[in-house]
Amino acid sequence: MTTTDARVETRPQRTEQPRRTPRRAFVTVLSVLVPAALMLAYLSPIVWLVLTSFKNRVDIFSSAPTVFFTPTLANYVEAFVDKGFTENLVNSAVVGLASTLIALLVGLPAAYSLSRASKGEGFMMALLAARLLPAMVLAVPLFVLASNLGLRDTYAGLIAAHLTFALPFTVWMMRGFFLAVPVALDEAAQLDGCGEWGTFLRVIMPIVKPGLAATAIFCLINSWNEFLFALVLTGRETQTLPVAIPSLITPIGTSWGQVAAVGTVTVMPVMIVAFIVQKHIVAGMTGGAISAE
Amino acid sequence: MRWARIGMQAPSLVILMLVLAFPLVYSLLLSFQSYSPVDPAADGRWIGLDNYARMFTDTQFGQAILVTLGYVVLAVALETLLGLVLGIWLSRLVRTRRLMTSLLLLPMIATPLVVGLMFSFGLNPQFGYMTSALQSLGLIGEAGVLDSPVGAFAALVVMDVWEWTPFIALMVLAGLSAAPEAQIQAAQLDGCSTFQIYWHVMLPMIRPVIGVAILFRATEAIRMFDQVYILTGGGPGSATTVNDIFQYRVSFTAFDMSYGATLGIATFAVVMTLTWVLFRYLNRRGAA
Repeated sequence: MTTTDARVETRPQRTEQPRRTPRRAFVTVLSVLVPAALMLAYLSPIVWLVLTSFKNRVDIFSSAPTVFFTPTLANYVEAFVDKGFTENLVNSAVVGLASTLIALLVGLPAAYSLSRASKGEGFMMALLAARLLPAMVLAVPLFVLASNLGLRDTYAGLIAAHLTFALPFTVWMMRGFFLAVPVALDEAAQLDGCGEWGTFLRVIMPIVKPGLAATAIFCLINSWNEFLFALVLTGRETQTLPVAIPSLITPIGTSWGQVAAVGTVTVMPVMIVAFIVQKHIVAGMTGGAISAE
Repeated sequence: MRWARIGMQAPSLVILMLVLAFPLVYSLLLSFQSYSPVDPAADGRWIGLDNYARMFTDTQFGQAILVTLGYVVLAVALETLLGLVLGIWLSRLVRTRRLMTSLLLLPMIATPLVVGLMFSFGLNPQFGYMTSALQSLGLIGEAGVLDSPVGAFAALVVMDVWEWTPFIALMVLAGLSAAPEAQIQAAQLDGCSTFQIYWHVMLPMIRPVIGVAILFRATEAIRMFDQVYILTGGGPGSATTVNDIFQYRVSFTAFDMSYGATLGIATFAVVMTLTWVLFRYLNRRGAA
């Protein structure tokens, strides 16, 4: 029974083959269009924000959502030329670069040393806990301490706060890259007369350069994206970009175009850079605890 | 040898002591005091466990914990289910996998505050495209989604699912590509259907990866703040007042620092427990 059934089924297929080609083409087109449409819908919140930043007030408030409109740069000019958002941009960059630099300088030797030590589990556990610690838990004591020490609204205060996550992140992430380098290389270098620092600086560091770049980029992104510490520790002089955004939204008369422009400028560098470190994204998002490749 | 090791690790330890350990200890001490920079009566005198007693009888805090729990469980469960499907779909793509992955990771790398802003724009009652889409479907009225407690809470969960489903998917994808081929081929030879292979062979293989992903998501979701701060601010009422928003209000709106420190210490204890579980999980995986 079953064999005859199968034959009955296969025969029309064979005769219909020429006629099926357009249908197959249709299926192929669908298999491209449907995921593309879904992806566009998925990314629509990002697209909408960027579009809004190029709209004038009338286009923003038009009753039906508009995709086609005359783009204007007025929002960007108003926010970054007329108002002081360029300063916020500079603040974000200064804090990001400084905290990344310190975290790397201090964290790299520690990560290397921990990767070569048989002990040090307690230290790693503490570092993971630090990475996962809610910022709110630290925000209160850091705020009180910074107030007492006169470090509020200074770069030093915010950089110190950013080190609470940048340093543990650097050590976890870099330890993973150091673990991937065979210990035999260390031993060979030491036989050739290198000390531990010499081995680290001259033999191992050049090998982990790609990992170092990824770690540095993630440090920059994390600092750039950080909001809570910046919200409670900065004032007029040191506000970073994410903190400047909510201050634009007021119950009376928000200039949504400008908000969108500042939001776009905040998020775009991160998204562009993300493509470079795509390979390490899982490790980056989990503080280096998981390296999925 | 020993000195070199100390020299390599000591600077990190010193900085972490200064910026992490010391503030945490300070916070612990603060939790036994009555301190507020704006209240002259709360001058830092010691009040023992009063703050902790207050925490356990604080109905608003209880409410915040309930909201947080509901949100974490709902969001992480949805992310796990959708992430699993998405991860399997990604693993079956050949030519477009890299492109799709690149696009999918945009939400989770984006500045969290701006993610909140994006949904604030989409759900704006006057000009949001999500609002007009939902209105044309007849799901919401003129006031928009964020005006009702259920709507605002749902918006929060949807936003989190939007942002973090790709994370689970990428973890699943990594787990699937590390899965040994032999067992899958054996199952194919035994005549298993594709669904059977995924359900009975692949899923058990990637279960540890999913476990780690869920734990990470849970610890991250517990401290959700930025997105809520800009999207709903915790409202309407207390519908979206998650733990961190509540703590922010106590510490930085009411400036009740010592009580805020107490709540922080309690959160710290919960997160430490989760971290310990996660660390044991990671170590067991490393040993295997």
